[in-house]
Amino acid sequence: MRDSFSKYHPFVNLIYFTLTIGFSMVVNHPFAQLISLLCAVVYVISTQGKKSVGFLLKFCLPLVLLTAFINPAFNHEGKTILLYFSNGNPLTLESILYGFSSGGMIITLLLWFSAFNCVMTSDKFIYLFGKVIPALSLVLSMTLRFVPKFKTQMKNVADAQRCIGRDISSGSLISRTKTAITIMSIMITWSLENAIETADSMKSRGYGLKGRTAFSIYRFEDRDKYVLVWFVFCFLYLLAGVIVSAFGFRYFPDIRYSAFNITIIPFYFIYFGLCITPVVLNTVEDRKWKTIYSKM
Amino acid sequence: MKRILSILICIVLLFSLCACEGNFAQVDLQSNIAIPEDGIINKSVLNQIKDENAIATFTGKSGDYSYEWTVFGSDIAEAKDINLLADITNKDGIKIEFSQEEDFGFPMLLSVYLNEKWDCLSATAYSDNKAIYSVSLTGTKESILNISVNKIVDSCIITPDATQQQATEGKVVSSNKDETKNDSDDVKTDEYLSGSLQSGGRVYSDGSDSEQDKYKTDPIPQGKPRPVEPENQEINNEKTYTCTFSIECSTILNNLEDLDPDKLELVPSNGVILPATTVTFFEGESVFDVLQRVCKENNIHLESSWTPIYNSAYIEGIHNLYEFDCGNLSGWTYRVNGWYPNYGCSRYQLVQGEVVEWRYTCDLGKDVGCDWMG
Repeated sequence: MRDSFSKYHPFVNLIYFTLTIGFSMVVNHPFAQLISLLCAVVYVISTQGKKSVGFLLKFCLPLVLLTAFINPAFNHEGKTILLYFSNGNPLTLESILYGFSSGGMIITLLLWFSAFNCVMTSDKFIYLFGKVIPALSLVLSMTLRFVPKFKTQMKNVADAQRCIGRDISSGSLISRTKTAITIMSIMITWSLENAIETADSMKSRGYGLKGRTAFSIYRFEDRDKYVLVWFVFCFLYLLAGVIVSAFGFRYFPDIRYSAFNITIIPFYFIYFGLCITPVVLNTVEDRKWKTIYSKM
Repeated sequence: MKRILSILICIVLLFSLCACEGNFAQVDLQSNIAIPEDGIINKSVLNQIKDENAIATFTGKSGDYSYEWTVFGSDIAEAKDINLLADITNKDGIKIEFSQEEDFGFPMLLSVYLNEKWDCLSATAYSDNKAIYSVSLTGTKESILNISVNKIVDSCIITPDATQQQATEGKVVSSNKDETKNDSDDVKTDEYLSGSLQSGGRVYSDGSDSEQDKYKTDPIPQGKPRPVEPENQEINNEKTYTCTFSIECSTILNNLEDLDPDKLELVPSNGVILPATTVTFFEGESVFDVLQRVCKENNIHLESSWTPIYNSAYIEGIHNLYEFDCGNLSGWTYRVNGWYPNYGCSRYQLVQGEVVEWRYTCDLGKDVGCDWMG
């Protein structure tokens, strides 16, 4: 599915991710966490495709189980004692459940950030923060840009070295290490050179002179306005929910949570609505595209 | 259109703010309710405390002394009008006259704030020369007497029990019955200086140390047991002895407003988590070994962590009440025969008949009578 949400105004994108990531960190009711996690999974799979499913199963699932196992080893708080460790500390039910919850929170945030990375490209970032914090946003975007650039260049160099018989994937350990060191040395020289070139090219294009403007193709349209109003509404509604502890849940010393009732349930619907917004927008856009396409 | 939308949002927000009482059932704290002049607290007030499962404190003043009643909603079986007025005077000890005539029907905790510091381990309340309440002493600069009042008497007089000095000396004598002891202090001092006293394989300090040992323990005061290293201790399962263990947290009752609200429900209404219990232990066991066993047997939660730099276990929390739960200076301390050892509980080897008290402090030990810490 094409990610049409990323075609919205960068400010709308930024607000969306700030809200989802923020609430995912603050809200610790398992049901709300589940909503956020599911929405993140659906969004990431629908936009990044099959590659992300492997990431989910290979990395995220073990991470949750790992935190659920590790947390009780360091945290012994809780009323329900299941058994005792050899050093005399208790294993408590609450600490296990808390481990699951924090593991879930970590992967939820990981997924949201992976979506954030795809949507908030460096040009959007510069567009949003270029005026407010020019130096920092430039440094940030250059640093972030450097990693993929370095990776591509490294692949090129490794391929070129392979052509002249220096292959890092075969041979004895010593010869492979030697080749790898050669490639590393080439890469370091290249990155230093590259930095000088970048600086020179920026200077020759007049970076830092007065009166320069930045070109951007972003326009704040009506659709951005509507989505923004919806986000602001969700934010206020959920903020009220957090204040009245509609998502209240505590693990220690024993598990307590606010009971579901008619006044609490709307908060969960709104939370779901906020998190699922991009998927809904993408689906609607997809349908529209398909109907137009079939008419042609 | 815009106006309608904004009004709609306001209505929804207001609705959710007003109608939603999504708080989970927690113990609520209602502190510092002033006692009226006639002292009468209405039945309805108590019923409310009971229904909300709250902890309430009522404060009053009598002469130079201020006092505070603490009541737990969970304790109230049947509410009735009660009179909380107390007349406190200083005549051969602290004399308290109650205005209430019949029993409350539920335990109430009375805390009396003295203007002076009592140098004693505990105190007892006497009525007609009979001990009726046991008093737990807290307070940093001025002592606070915490009295759990179950049944009401006309008046009672509180006098301090043995001072720390007396208690310690008494214990040394009783644990060395086979050795001939002289009443004179001079002889005792000489004996300490001439060599280490032995009792149950334990070595006492002669007070001559001037430097910290390798585990950062300051010099042990004269006559107090030297620490032992847990890795060298051999536990002899054939020789059993008994000692007394108790765990209490009455300082929290004096500082309820500092306590983590989630932990309020854990605090017992008289502050006692484990009343003084006689425990059997094997020769060579440390306070920590016995504490672990006692807590396991009594189903009390206990978390500890091994601290290599002090070569001892550190008690992080008992009964889910953790260090730092009641202010930045709070945590667990232990006292043996009235003395707070200046080393960890894994390094204190117990001998027959010792009295071990685990006490929660909210002021780095100062409020429970431990003066060597900071």
